[in-house]
Amino acid sequence: MVGQKQKPIDEIIKSLEGKEKIVIIGCGGCARLFKTGGDIEVRQMARTLAEKGKKVLAAISLPLGEFTCYIPQSRARIVQHKKEIEECDAILVLSCGDGLQIVNEILLEGDDKILKLVLPGNDTLGLMGGGPDLFKEKCQQCGECIVGMYAGICPLTQCAKELLNGPCGGYKKDKCETDPERDCAWIKIYKRLSDMGMLERIEEIVPPKDWKKRSRPRQISVK
Amino acid sequence: MSKLSEALKNKKFAVTSEVGPPKGVNIKVCIEDAELIKDKVDAINVTDNQSAVMRISSMAVCHVLVEKGMEPVFQMVCRDKNRLGLQADLLGAWALGIQNVLCLTGDHNVMGDHPTSKPVFDIDSVQLIKAITDLNSGKDMVGNALDGAPNLFHGAVVTPESDPVEPQIIKMKKKIDAGAQFFQTQAVYDPVAFEKFMNKVSRFNVPVMVGIVVLKSPAMAKFMNENVAGIKVPVEIIKEMADTQKEDRVKKSIEISARIIRQVKALCQGVHIMPLGWDKHVPAILEQAGLY
Repeated sequence: MVGQKQKPIDEIIKSLEGKEKIVIIGCGGCARLFKTGGDIEVRQMARTLAEKGKKVLAAISLPLGEFTCYIPQSRARIVQHKKEIEECDAILVLSCGDGLQIVNEILLEGDDKILKLVLPGNDTLGLMGGGPDLFKEKCQQCGECIVGMYAGICPLTQCAKELLNGPCGGYKKDKCETDPERDCAWIKIYKRLSDMGMLERIEEIVPPKDWKKRSRPRQISVK
Repeated sequence: MSKLSEALKNKKFAVTSEVGPPKGVNIKVCIEDAELIKDKVDAINVTDNQSAVMRISSMAVCHVLVEKGMEPVFQMVCRDKNRLGLQADLLGAWALGIQNVLCLTGDHNVMGDHPTSKPVFDIDSVQLIKAITDLNSGKDMVGNALDGAPNLFHGAVVTPESDPVEPQIIKMKKKIDAGAQFFQTQAVYDPVAFEKFMNKVSRFNVPVMVGIVVLKSPAMAKFMNENVAGIKVPVEIIKEMADTQKEDRVKKSIEISARIIRQVKALCQGVHIMPLGWDKHVPAILEQAGLY
């Protein structure tokens, strides 16, 4: 899932300065699970904006499982609320950065382009797993999965220095030098491989990472 | 061939110490520190943005030492430059007369004075050692031929008192496989623990220089025990320092460092003294350790 948290309300209000008529768009995917843009948060945001003197023309919350980042679903919602969207001064999107930019793309589709200011209500924190109450980042989407070498633990994401060939000298017991609460990824990798009798997996030199595989933006065709 | 590589090759007990470049362009004191010890050591390490605190570049200070007839060990961390920058500096260092390099991961940015900077760590210390081995053989990291190859004497670090130590030893072996020609260790205070460590790594047959951090006070020992990973000052040594009158602390400090060197000398191939500003006491430490 795409981790996210809502921006501080003051930052959102400031971004809406001078804009009176607002449309809010949430997301029934990750944003709902991260409590940043499900129906509850969309309604709450509508109330907050109304209290601040804004006129909320539409507060569009998507049902669970309907993704703002998925064009077929997102487009249907936008078409439904075309009138309010055309009339508004700004659209506040409570989804991840993908969802927001897909909304923008849909608005610009075809001949009757809608040019509107689209503003983020959330900060996107990347791929995360877990739930229902706590989510953790496990993968940084490097484009070439290497966790098979490391007992299923990604050193690029879990080690503060992204070390591929073993720990630095900065671990204290099993914690990282950067934060006494943070586990040292390499001690985890070492212990897990040691328990599995497979330490030879980290005895070979791993060559430098091919960062070209992470050059952005990527696109994939799944036709 | 560098003096350091010659000393280690000839199985002479090698001695290095270090200076820390200052924050600013006034390198007078730093050079004076180096001059205090130059005749007593085989080479002088120059730290690289030590503790992730921004300072004048290690390469610049190394070059000044070369110009003044001293032999530096250019410390290079992986935190601040990507593989292009690191290789370029290695070639540059050689062109400036720098012959020894010590490869380190580097403390994380959040530990220093620029915590909002972007950590680079494009390659790690093992890959950096391999890169130098490649440069020495006339090729860059991707196999392109160099117009003139360096002949850098490259080493690495290891932390004997890490807990657990096994991952350090696995990585040490990888550093050797990558071409590391010597090791300098993190600070050692416990000869028994160091002996255990050396028993595990002497089979690698690569020279190890024991690290000595000159202990200035009981407070410093306590601080390191609590905050610096891989450093363990035994309670007896802290007590020994604490029981010493303040005016006799320097004398005691020299005595402790020299004693540890004497206790571990037979186990390893050299010593690396980190005086943290007390450079002027390094000659006395070496003298009491029977090395000068």
